Amino acid sequence: MNEDYDVIVVGAGFGGPVAAHRCASAGLKTLMLERSITPGDKVISGLAIPFYGFMYAPSFIRDGNPPLQRPIRQVINNFIKDGEIYATDTSLWLPPPLALTYTAYCVPMCVWLADRAVEAGADLRTRTTAVDLVMEKGKVTGVVTDKGDTIRAKVVIDAAGTQDGLALKAGLRKKLPIDTLELYMLWDFDMSKQDVDSTIGNKVEFFCAMPDEKIVAPVGFGSTFYIFTYRESIHPGLGQFIVTEDKVESVARHLEEYFEKFTTTVSRWRDDIAPKVKLRAKMFDVCPIYAGLDRSVREMPIHGDGMMIIGDAAAMESAAFGDGVPNAWFSAAIAGDVAVEAVKAGDTSAEFLRRYDERVKAHGVIGASLSDTRRYDMRWALPGNDEREMRRRAHELFGRGVWRYRHITGQVVREATSLLSHEPGVAAKWLKMFNRYNRNCETGYSDTLSTYE
Amino acid sequence: MSMTYQEFPGVEWIEGAGDFIKVNAKKCDGCGNCIRVCLAKCYKMSGKKAHVDNLERCMECGACWYSCLPDAIQFSWPPGGTGFRTMWG
Repeated sequence: MNEDYDVIVVGAGFGGPVAAHRCASAGLKTLMLERSITPGDKVISGLAIPFYGFMYAPSFIRDGNPPLQRPIRQVINNFIKDGEIYATDTSLWLPPPLALTYTAYCVPMCVWLADRAVEAGADLRTRTTAVDLVMEKGKVTGVVTDKGDTIRAKVVIDAAGTQDGLALKAGLRKKLPIDTLELYMLWDFDMSKQDVDSTIGNKVEFFCAMPDEKIVAPVGFGSTFYIFTYRESIHPGLGQFIVTEDKVESVARHLEEYFEKFTTTVSRWRDDIAPKVKLRAKMFDVCPIYAGLDRSVREMPIHGDGMMIIGDAAAMESAAFGDGVPNAWFSAAIAGDVAVEAVKAGDTSAEFLRRYDERVKAHGVIGASLSDTRRYDMRWALPGNDEREMRRRAHELFGRGVWRYRHITGQVVREATSLLSHEPGVAAKWLKMFNRYNRNCETGYSDTLSTYE
Repeated sequence: MSMTYQEFPGVEWIEGAGDFIKVNAKKCDGCGNCIRVCLAKCYKMSGKKAHVDNLERCMECGACWYSCLPDAIQFSWPPGGTGFRTMWG
């Protein structure tokens, strides 16, 4: 079967539907290909999307009603020694109706986004893996699916996520360097809303310890153990860098051992939380937490002849700031706009698509969250095995110190100022947004989402 | 048909995924990185070479592929609608 589209978007995760929505809304014949059965059912993420992701997202998200779980208003940093919490840092918080971040499950969020793109006129084909690109004289002119179909398009937008192979096939990108990656485990525990409210509330708890504790992946070796609260569940995660001191660690064994020790030793879990929860799911994935800080990754192209690469597929994930989804949304919107301009101009060459690259680089939040070297880096806490340094660093990212990170807070403020002067009434829309999200998290989500079974 | 495993509640595997990860024995230097990073216990060593023992619990994270410095591991997505899936990610 041979077909023609203006645009093919590979992947209906978080970024893909935003690009497809943009293209379809402008009248382009748009196809989304998704390898899973239901959008989002192959996405593993301890998902929390920062408030500014929504504020600066395309208006269909900002003014819409996405299926969120809980607003997180405070970070509790717990520091562990000899198996118990000996200090906390609770200095980072925002008052209602604001929230630092919103938790969500990937399936309903991705389905909600894909539904909006389909509503705008995009076609969605699930259970379809794009296995190869069609190339003519070095230019991408379509994709080949696992069913053997060749589908042609003027532009291909690669939104295939972290382990994407299409950009490698196009010769544009390389496998990410191993020292930028973290392996993480994720659990989902059923817990009544009342128990979540009274035990943790609208907060995230982090647990930090020095390496010799061997209780959480130690600071310097990975991200801390964290517990995000959802509406009627909690979502703990534990990550560790794959490479430590130039060696590939036995990460798989460590993660299992740390979780076992944490849950049986630390009374905050053993006595306060464990009696009220029931394990529902256990998952794992790789995340390129420091890809943005790696020069070779930053220099990899994000566009080519007939192709643009967005979100995680372009390593735009900054897990330290929880910016994977915002960066996917922002880059997808830019790619969608550029695809529309390119198709209308009848020019989808690399030369024309360069404006995608330029606009992404000019986007303050993407740039600041990814590549600013002043950014908090867990790896800094390692040298000298310095406990005070660990606590200072935790304060810098997950405490009030984050507000001093002007490269990111400055960009967030700058973006807000710019929107306030360009878009009349945006402040009222933001206020409505915060209130609408809070109401949904409190009362439960009632909009209908498509089913794909 | 789908499978579930006690070690990973809340996750199911849809059949038909096939051999989407392969090891090129000629390139494998036997370093064992793939075994150290795989939470699904997909790999085994024999005769100082790693091989894929089974992909039954694979969640397609790519840790083995990234960790394989001699590039002996070929990683691709399984066919559409197959492989792991979860409602709780």
